Amino acid sequence: MKLPTYHLKSNYSLMTFEFISKGTKGEIQKIIQFQKTEIYELYNLAFGDKNITTGEINDEIISNNGDLKQILATVISSLNIFTDRYPNYWVYITGSTESRTRLYQIGISIYLYEIEEIYLVWGNINDSWERFIKNKNYNGFLIKRK
Amino acid sequence: MIRKKKIVKNIIVEIDEKLNQYDNVILFPKKLEQANKTLKAIGLPK
Repeated sequence: MKLPTYHLKSNYSLMTFEFISKGTKGEIQKIIQFQKTEIYELYNLAFGDKNITTGEINDEIISNNGDLKQILATVISSLNIFTDRYPNYWVYITGSTESRTRLYQIGISIYLYEIEEIYLVWGNINDSWERFIKNKNYNGFLIKRK
Repeated sequence: MIRKKKIVKNIIVEIDEKLNQYDNVILFPKKLEQANKTLKAIGLPK
């Protein structure tokens, strides 16, 4: 990944990560969690802001901190760390809103070359999976180590 | 055939024991519920 990433902190299980976004609106604590789903070895990537004062977590807030690319690169780094530890696991990624899903799609498209060196990527369209194609709108994404 | 496996290197992650508190906590329950609903309907790629 060519773009710089933020410093990541994690727990022992490498299922939860935190980092601080530093941008035009100041410092914003971000939290990532890989959540076990009801499907065997399939985890859901959830991501949002954490209020430093109250500890409240919000995945619908739009921060607009001007550092989107660096945030996406950091999330991909957490994915790399998670799948390094758990190489057989599948990871499902979707946004909390359609526009956020589009952002993830843009992120995957920007880094597709690097991502596909390591991962197989699928997109969810019309209630089925197909291999990810750039500039095509999907409802969600699935990633697995090659 | 020997398959090459790409190993991701040079990723530094600091272990913060405070984050262990989230081990059995679902931080984004709505998101997980939505994911389960979708994934149960469409399953995994064939």
